Amino acid sequence: MRSYPELRPSGWDGLVAALVAALAVLCAAVTWTAPAEDSGSLTAVITVDGTEVERIPLDGETEQTVRGNGYTLHVVVTETEVFVASSDCPSQDCVETAPISQPGRSIVCLPARVIIQLEGGAASPDVDAVIG
Amino acid sequence: MKLTTHQLTACAVLTAMALALSYLEGLFPLTAAIPIPGIKLGLANIVTLFALYALGPGQAMLILVARCILGAVFAGNMNALIFSLLGGVTAMAVMIGLSRLRRLSVYGVSIGGAAAHNCGQVAAAVLTLGNGAPVYYLPVLLAVSLLTGALTGLVSASLFRALSHTGIMKG
Amino acid sequence: MKRILIFLLVFLTAVGLTGCGGAETGTSEEASGQVFAMDTVMSFTAYGGDGEGAVQQAQEVVSQMEELLSRTREDSQVSRLNAADGQQMAVDPALGKLIQAAGAYRALTGGSFDITIAPVADAWGFIKDVQQVPDSQTLAERLALVDGSQVQVTERDGTWYVRLGQGQSVDLGGIAKGYVSDLLEGAYAEHGVSSGVVYLGGNVYVRGAKTDGTAWRVGVQDPHAPEDGSAYAAILLLQDAFAVTSGGYQRNFEMDGQLYHHILDPATGRPAQSGLLSVTVVADATGRTQLEDDPGNGTMCDALSTALFVLGEERALDLWRAEKEAFDLVLVTEDGRVVLTEGLADRYEAIEGSGYTYEIVS
Repeated sequence: MRSYPELRPSGWDGLVAALVAALAVLCAAVTWTAPAEDSGSLTAVITVDGTEVERIPLDGETEQTVRGNGYTLHVVVTETEVFVASSDCPSQDCVETAPISQPGRSIVCLPARVIIQLEGGAASPDVDAVIG
Repeated sequence: MKLTTHQLTACAVLTAMALALSYLEGLFPLTAAIPIPGIKLGLANIVTLFALYALGPGQAMLILVARCILGAVFAGNMNALIFSLLGGVTAMAVMIGLSRLRRLSVYGVSIGGAAAHNCGQVAAAVLTLGNGAPVYYLPVLLAVSLLTGALTGLVSASLFRALSHTGIMKG
Repeated sequence: MKRILIFLLVFLTAVGLTGCGGAETGTSEEASGQVFAMDTVMSFTAYGGDGEGAVQQAQEVVSQMEELLSRTREDSQVSRLNAADGQQMAVDPALGKLIQAAGAYRALTGGSFDITIAPVADAWGFIKDVQQVPDSQTLAERLALVDGSQVQVTERDGTWYVRLGQGQSVDLGGIAKGYVSDLLEGAYAEHGVSSGVVYLGGNVYVRGAKTDGTAWRVGVQDPHAPEDGSAYAAILLLQDAFAVTSGGYQRNFEMDGQLYHHILDPATGRPAQSGLLSVTVVADATGRTQLEDDPGNGTMCDALSTALFVLGEERALDLWRAEKEAFDLVLVTEDGRVVLTEGLADRYEAIEGSGYTYEIVS
């Protein structure tokens, strides 16, 4: 006599398991092969002397000219990262700073009083502050 | 819905058991072994599964909702409510559907429910974050749900077997 | 129906009983601000209490301190003190206390931290960004002026007086930001801020824990990759703490194939060559040092990070062993080690693949 509910797994349960497995593979195929969009919607926020002057989403290659304190910076924003291509500031620290691609990271140009910071994105930053 | 004293008591006891299982599970987080948000054994699902077969869909849903709300209140984290509720209700809907298919055993229903639970949670994450990134975890969560679903199915099957002589099961 | 009502009633009572526990974890507003001052960018974030008020006060404090302490502003009190040529001068109590504290840390570190290094630093051009290697005669002349023991600080009826030695000048760059972090701790406390970060270039003050209850994650810059903001030598997990890093990589110049950095050894007048790449000093924000009129642990961390960089690993650890309760250290050495003192043993994360080996000392 069959009991209710059925307590022994049968081929039909295997079918459910196979369906779930197929769904997992399908999701993996769709999400993992899609162009790396896990950076979410990052935005480069540019401030000059504490005032926000520009917000540029990281969705294509653009170049932005930023003026601050008498200096001019050329900021390049690509789909994945932001960097300062050139600047006429004396220290050149901003140009030497490695491109930033993680939320919370920033490039600072002290002479020009410019800060370029990445906001948004899905990943939370790995640190809250960097000393040194 | 009108509940008899017997049903009300059963609901209360099962809600308490589900909460206790959730708490127990929290003591040994699976996320420590596999660092993916939302990954867990889903022991409370045993209660849901039992309630579904023993008390029927209505009361099973009542227990589920009570468990989710009380769990969020006890944890002091109302943000978690939308996750557990959306996950739980999705799982419940799928399990109600699957349990109607008489050819399926507890195992199939349990696996389907576990998978649906993860889908619901990922949907909740997408909704609250306003960002599609959590979908990235779904394949792994689904794969793990095969194992956790089979495990809760195994426990439930043993439970039903042990209780079969009591006549507590409907149907 | 009645039974459902009873169920609901019991349920709502349960919610009511535990509700107060749940309410406090609600996300609080973030207040934040940024300001360029003291040759660096400073940022403040505050959660809980009157965060906006705290951030606003922070900005005011920073601009006040810059007016007082800047060496590049000719009208600052420090500039006027340096021009006083050995005359006694009445100063702001803040400046008086700071110079007094600098003297105490000079004594504590056997002279390896000395604010009267200013004439030598000027010869190297580290202040005006026109860097050069001074000739040995200039260096000898300037070095003769370096002697913190000649600085006199006195307080009479609430007025503070400072007298420098003839020809001496002071540079508070190695202690000023730490002092500001102490003042800002006070500002945050005054405004009831429960959680936040004060970031002042190489100095950081973290208040409380993060709003999710976990410790603040503070990255110690990898000295080998100073231009890469995501390269760390270690990550510190801190709550209610000050942390300050000093390293030769922070400011330097190259001449004739030789790299010269800005942390000068008061004994030689030359960039300190101690085998260290950077020194990080960590101290509780709630503890207090033993000094009289002590400005706070932020000041201590700032002064010590410079001094211990000059002293080198062995002597730095000796000093730490004598003052274990007061602070902890992260030393990054030239030979690829990250040395942490035992108080940080369970409050750090090593960086995989960084190439560093990690040591805990006790």
